[in-house]
Amino acid sequence: CSRLHTRPSISPTLLLSNMYQRPDMVTPGMDPQGQAVDPRKIQEHFEDFYEDLFEELSKYGEIESLNICDNLADHMVGNVYIQFREEEHAASALKNLTGRFYAGRPIIIDFSPVTDFREATCR
Amino acid sequence: PSRSKSKRASGFDMAPPSNAMLSGGTVPGQVPGVSQTMPGMF
Repeated sequence: CSRLHTRPSISPTLLLSNMYQRPDMVTPGMDPQGQAVDPRKIQEHFEDFYEDLFEELSKYGEIESLNICDNLADHMVGNVYIQFREEEHAASALKNLTGRFYAGRPIIIDFSPVTDFREATCR
Repeated sequence: PSRSKSKRASGFDMAPPSNAMLSGGTVPGQVPGVSQTMPGMF
């Protein structure tokens, strides 16, 4: 949604904005050069991304859940939500990831108010 | 355990290409120091 949600000062959940980029983000099913992309390649690319994230974020604490928005629409595109068991671990991850890069792009990280993803739809 | 293939390099800390890093200062084709207008000159 387009509402401006309040950013909590501490939360077990972190939001990494627009972090995941699908290989066929420009045209669905095509790579940026206009070549058809094998859906298995897209899946593999996604799994590699997931693995990278899980590995890096596990350094800071136990992960409760890791959600990646694998969408093509503008809204929340490529957003990554990561919920830690403990708020302090989320805070430590936030501190450690701020100002770093992932695949040539800066990491945009903040706390997210979401703690229950089934209830995360905006009403 | 299912993904025991040789590990790829993680995308973490993969810095942007150097030309993207430099583009913050000068625009390609722009000669530094020439485009600024000097006070009192046309």
